Amino acid sequence: MDINVKHLAKLSMLKMDEKQLEKFEKDMQDIVKMVQKLPKIQGDLISLDPENPMILREDKLSEKPFTRAEILSNAPEEIAGCIVVPKTLES
Amino acid sequence: MELYKKPAYLLSEMIKKKECSAVEITQSFFNRIGNIDEKIGAYITLNNEGALKAAKVVDEKIAKGEAVSPIAGVPIGIKDNISTKGLLTTCASKMLYNYVPPFNATVMEKLISNDSVILGKLNMDEFAMGSSTESSYFKLTRNPHNLDKVPGGSSGGSAASVAAGECAFALGTDTGGSIRMPAAYCGVVGLKPTYGTVSRYGVVAFASSFDQVGPIARNVKDIALLYNAICGYDKLEATSVKKSYPDFTKGISGNVKGLRIGIPAEYFGKGVDSEVKEKVLSMVKELEKQGAKVIEINLPSTEYALSAYYIISSAEASSNLARFDGVRYGYRAKEYDNLIDMYEKTRDEGFGDEVKRRIMLGTFVLSSGYFDAYYKKAKVVAQNITKEFNHAFEECDVIATPTTPVTAFNIGENINDPVKMCAGDICTVPINIAGLPAISVPCGTICKMPVGIQFIANKFNENILLNTARAVELINGEAEVCEISGQEGK
Repeated sequence: MDINVKHLAKLSMLKMDEKQLEKFEKDMQDIVKMVQKLPKIQGDLISLDPENPMILREDKLSEKPFTRAEILSNAPEEIAGCIVVPKTLES
Repeated sequence: MELYKKPAYLLSEMIKKKECSAVEITQSFFNRIGNIDEKIGAYITLNNEGALKAAKVVDEKIAKGEAVSPIAGVPIGIKDNISTKGLLTTCASKMLYNYVPPFNATVMEKLISNDSVILGKLNMDEFAMGSSTESSYFKLTRNPHNLDKVPGGSSGGSAASVAAGECAFALGTDTGGSIRMPAAYCGVVGLKPTYGTVSRYGVVAFASSFDQVGPIARNVKDIALLYNAICGYDKLEATSVKKSYPDFTKGISGNVKGLRIGIPAEYFGKGVDSEVKEKVLSMVKELEKQGAKVIEINLPSTEYALSAYYIISSAEASSNLARFDGVRYGYRAKEYDNLIDMYEKTRDEGFGDEVKRRIMLGTFVLSSGYFDAYYKKAKVVAQNITKEFNHAFEECDVIATPTTPVTAFNIGENINDPVKMCAGDICTVPINIAGLPAISVPCGTICKMPVGIQFIANKFNENILLNTARAVELINGEAEVCEISGQEGK
């Protein structure tokens, strides 16, 4: 089976060089071959476990909000209380 | 006997009777870790200061005559994918090598409110993806029964630390066998609870339909003590079940009279080592002698379970791991041309090969043109597996199988063969697919390596599992701390 590993890597936001792509191409062939073992079946999908319907939280501020400093303490780069990323707009 | 060798339930009694202090116990465990962890490699991060502080609080409460929780002062190790406020939580990945959570997972809040003593964070397969703990970015963990063997995974650090006496008990997580398999390889007890019983809030998500937190200990009573403390409804978790739970330490006499044990032929077939099969079936015979009734059952969709598991879990992982982009926390690549380049380089440098394979498999099965042939089909298989289990539980109370098809393999043996590595999960993944509880308990050894028997029950029947596992323990004896000899790993 043809697996376009280069395309998959792009969709997965992974930068890979040719050597890596070659290695993963083989791995992916083997893995996809393994998971191809599926029966010929038709069936309907149930959406949720009726015994355990997921109930989402209300969209409101939590009881224990974090401080800005706590949240930013893990940021790789921070200036003036903001997370720094490369420029995203053309000047 | 050294304090670190004692089971949690005994340590708990000793603290309450003032036979020893929580601080003494904690120090005994840190000494043990200091003496042997260089050989075992169970811990990524130690919490010396925090643990001793918590132990002191317990001793003060005892001195004042205050009532304390049954797990108060008993030292515990935590798998490193469970968020601990102020303490590194790496998921054994370069991607989170420096991540210090600003909050606690709900299970941590529960442990802290029970005056638990947190010794540190335990090694695992990167992002819980793997079956040997070899995919950790930081270190290898070795099997305390033989330092040349893997401890299993992904909760390898949890199982190894419990077996080696580096904590009294531990928390692991189980997405496809990650508690039960290392417990079996390391000769300890591991419980994967019913989906929805233990909150995953603050547990780094791998496959949200399957992930579950659970206890690992050297005996069933300790499992019950820890499970009592961590189960329960959590409004912060959408899949948490609103339900009240019994005291799980009650009703574990090990009496199996009248218990109906189902034996599914599909779990004893090709690929399962004949000696493992024999150990498991002879234990079932022992239980039969004690009044259990053995029934043959069929779970025909088992042969598709591994495919369905890898498709669904990888699909969910590819989505869950999209958050690791080098922006808000964790690793960020040093050089990049623009934002996309930063994402791509960060993820390439931050993730290990196993994680990349799963993300790409997940991306593949969800991508246009393949969704129906893989993901949708896998979901139908999952549904069928669940139906077959439901049907089986009309005839039996528990199902007995091997936990793993073989005993622990050598370090490095399967690392270059992802498919062979996955095959070891065949007895455990169907249980996660169906959301059922299951326990692994030691049932003998082959060439000195432990064999685990797995019992599976219907949803919320953890008490039946604990009682059945206790019956095995009464036959086999409780696991003791492994002696770590001068034996050097290769």
